[in-house]
Amino acid sequence: MADLVISGLRKEFGSSVALSEITLDVASGTFMSLLGPSGCGKSTLLRCIAGLETVTRGDIFIGNENVTALPPEKRRLGMMFQSYALFPHMTVLENVRFPLRMAGEGSKAEQLERAKAALERVQMGHLAARKPTQLSGGQQQRVALARAIVSQPRILLLDEPLSNLDARLREDMQIELLELHRELGLTTVFVTHDQDEAMSLSDLVVLMNVGRVQQVGKPEEIYGTPKTVFAADFLGAANLLPAVTIAPGAAQLAGGHEIRVPAGEFPAGSDVVIGLRQEDLRLNTEGDDNSVPVEVVAPVFRGAEVQYVVSYGEQRIRLIAGKRGPIIPAGPARLSWRTADAFVLPPA
Amino acid sequence: MTQPLHLASRSSRGRKRPWLEPLLLLSPAIVLLMLGFFLPVAQMVFSSVTSFQGESGFSLANYAEVFKSDYYLSAMGRSLKLSLIQTVITLALALPLSYLMTRVSGRISGILMAIIILPLMTSVVVRTFGWVVLLAPNSWLGQMAKSIDPVRYGQGLLGTEAGIVISMVQVLLPFAVLTLFGVMQNIDPKLEEAARTMGAGFLSTLRTVVFPLSLPGLISGATLVFALSVSSFITPRLVGGSRLPVLAGTIYNDATVNLDWPFAAAQSTLLFLAVVMLIFATSRIGSRK
Amino acid sequence: MVKSVPGWVRALATVLAVVVGIYMLLPIIVVAISSINSERFLSFPPKGLSLEWYQLVLTTDTYLQPFLTSLWIGLLITAIAVVVGTAASIALTRFQIPGSQAILSFLMAPIIVPSIILGIALLAFLSVYADGASITGIIIGHIVLAIPYVVRTVSGVLLQQDRFTEEAARTMGARWWQRYLLVLLPMCKSGIFAGAFFAFNISFDDAVVALFLRSPSVETLPLAIYGRLEFSPDPSVAAVSTLMVLVTVLVLVGFERTLGLGKVMA
Repeated sequence: MADLVISGLRKEFGSSVALSEITLDVASGTFMSLLGPSGCGKSTLLRCIAGLETVTRGDIFIGNENVTALPPEKRRLGMMFQSYALFPHMTVLENVRFPLRMAGEGSKAEQLERAKAALERVQMGHLAARKPTQLSGGQQQRVALARAIVSQPRILLLDEPLSNLDARLREDMQIELLELHRELGLTTVFVTHDQDEAMSLSDLVVLMNVGRVQQVGKPEEIYGTPKTVFAADFLGAANLLPAVTIAPGAAQLAGGHEIRVPAGEFPAGSDVVIGLRQEDLRLNTEGDDNSVPVEVVAPVFRGAEVQYVVSYGEQRIRLIAGKRGPIIPAGPARLSWRTADAFVLPPA
Repeated sequence: MTQPLHLASRSSRGRKRPWLEPLLLLSPAIVLLMLGFFLPVAQMVFSSVTSFQGESGFSLANYAEVFKSDYYLSAMGRSLKLSLIQTVITLALALPLSYLMTRVSGRISGILMAIIILPLMTSVVVRTFGWVVLLAPNSWLGQMAKSIDPVRYGQGLLGTEAGIVISMVQVLLPFAVLTLFGVMQNIDPKLEEAARTMGAGFLSTLRTVVFPLSLPGLISGATLVFALSVSSFITPRLVGGSRLPVLAGTIYNDATVNLDWPFAAAQSTLLFLAVVMLIFATSRIGSRK
Repeated sequence: MVKSVPGWVRALATVLAVVVGIYMLLPIIVVAISSINSERFLSFPPKGLSLEWYQLVLTTDTYLQPFLTSLWIGLLITAIAVVVGTAASIALTRFQIPGSQAILSFLMAPIIVPSIILGIALLAFLSVYADGASITGIIIGHIVLAIPYVVRTVSGVLLQQDRFTEEAARTMGARWWQRYLLVLLPMCKSGIFAGAFFAFNISFDDAVVALFLRSPSVETLPLAIYGRLEFSPDPSVAAVSTLMVLVTVLVLVGFERTLGLGKVMA
């Protein structure tokens, strides 16, 4: 267990820049997610931490040791690959013992003992003698996890470990990862493109796009106060309405309606984007600070909630309403929200 | 056996000299093939145009000689004719057989595969030996042929083009079956079931679904079989004898008996060009699909 | 088989399979039967049965010497082709190499180019730059023919496997030699065996390259058989040919038992 510091990291592949200006300070024991769309550089960053890529510039420190020039085999990390990368010619137990064997820690019997214990921890003890090809995807995944934690690595790296599982298994594994993290307290770097996964698992989310860090924070911070259109859209798919500020705390939507917004750093006359979460919007409700006329296109009943798609001029806006109250049919309606729920963002 | 192998590239990044390891791994193979294959072939082509009957200097006389002589022209003509016949017969047998092999139970398919592979793994000399015995005038097959046409097959099937074709098709069939089998294995049986539900009968399903999908295998199989056919000389020589020379046989004679290497090289270059052009042409057809 | 195949198609298919099966095996069976002929001259069907030809073949140098020559050449070729071909396959499948497709085509070329061309090209080449036809020439020719098969089988296996295993091994502390010994080589094992089988078979069976590059001092087994066939075939050739086939059958059966033929050939 150790803390992870990345400073001024840059990675180029030939002439293309995969990562730039990555600076992170991750306290020991943190569960950190690298979140972003495919191609944003999150996996490359993970591979740089593992030592599988040489960095172009910048430094990586693990527990105060500068590991930038160290090859992966000397970094003492545990990494779980997206494809699991289990050795097909070894049994499950031999797979899990491998890191201990490489480190030469203890006798063979002790190594097997520890490997067995790691397998028990992920409920795979009974399959120790099998070959990986005889296991299901979910079982392979648990074995890969056991192999990544068996040597008590300084940092646990997880590269989209849940992406090959079906929805049900994925949920089970999320809970198990949380329990494991609480129990072992390993500093964990978790790569994912799934915002729900990132939010439900992490202490810290690093939101990335086109090779740069967009925003770093606790899940609720990024969700509650996104700093960019990208962040608002990627985490929680906020509605984004173009507008112009007209005075401190006031803006005019592209559709002509004036609304109140939280006062911010934008001088009057700036182009901005107003972000509104689906669950913060209401239809035909009294008492909100802002309201605009809209057309309900289609209500969609989803059991626990009702989702509406409404049109405001050219723009489609989505909102989610509780199942209480009547379903509002297609046709004109009023869309309303509280000023404090809106966020004012610089245009993308 | 002839489908191209597609390489997925992996990274060797994160190492100090990333090119060093693959270079060390690759260079022995490249050096060996360079010295043992590409340079000799290049030298062969070169010598065919720079040396004629002991005189050096650029000259196409070796090639002119090939085309001036009735003997060589007829050998080339026979090679071409026999190769075409053998290719057609081989594929006509291989097509239904390989389809059959992909659609029967694993055990029967395995037995058929073993029957196909065993001859492939047997030296061509041994197989041809079997045919020499089988086609001889006093054997069953020889007698049978004699009773059909006593004049032409007086000596059994030895020394006849029919004999060459019979024995060559057996040599070539495994190559065609293995190529087609690989392609047909990838045809989803559900496609055939779908065609049947849409009103296609068994035969029209074969014609409209299976045949078009196995065309790439048919093309590469035909290429391989023709190339092997046109360049073989052991079977034509032992079965056909010296009265039925083929191109590959005249190459062998001129290289090892007459010791006229530039002349043999010229014939080989013609053969080489024909094969390369054929492969190029069929791979173009294949990639257009 | 897809259901509802017409009965006459099934019948025809059965006939085809049986006829082709007989056709494929007939020459080999005939050789085997001829080898136990008691007469001095080859005839089929044989007039009487005897095993004396096997005794002759196994006790005189006529075939024993060529057999031993073919054997050691075959083993040498197998060793060289497996090492060189496996190394090249690892490079091509596990590293990012510019032009790797082109390099692969380059290594595969000897499969496509007829071996008669390799034979004459090598003969002419060695006559200019060395002392002509020799056993070295045969060995070089066989290596060139065998390498593509090893590359094909080994890269085939490597491409099917998870490509991140070596990286995984590195993150777990494996040094470069441990990566090769503990991860890569065990993973290509089945491809290496199949490649070794092909390499040995190609060398052991080859007559084409050997005919071009033979010198008076060396005779391989296929050359010895070929020589007899051209002049005076007698049942002893049949006996030695049958022994050759038996060796192949044994190896094939061994393969079927351990790896599965279908996997190796496809």
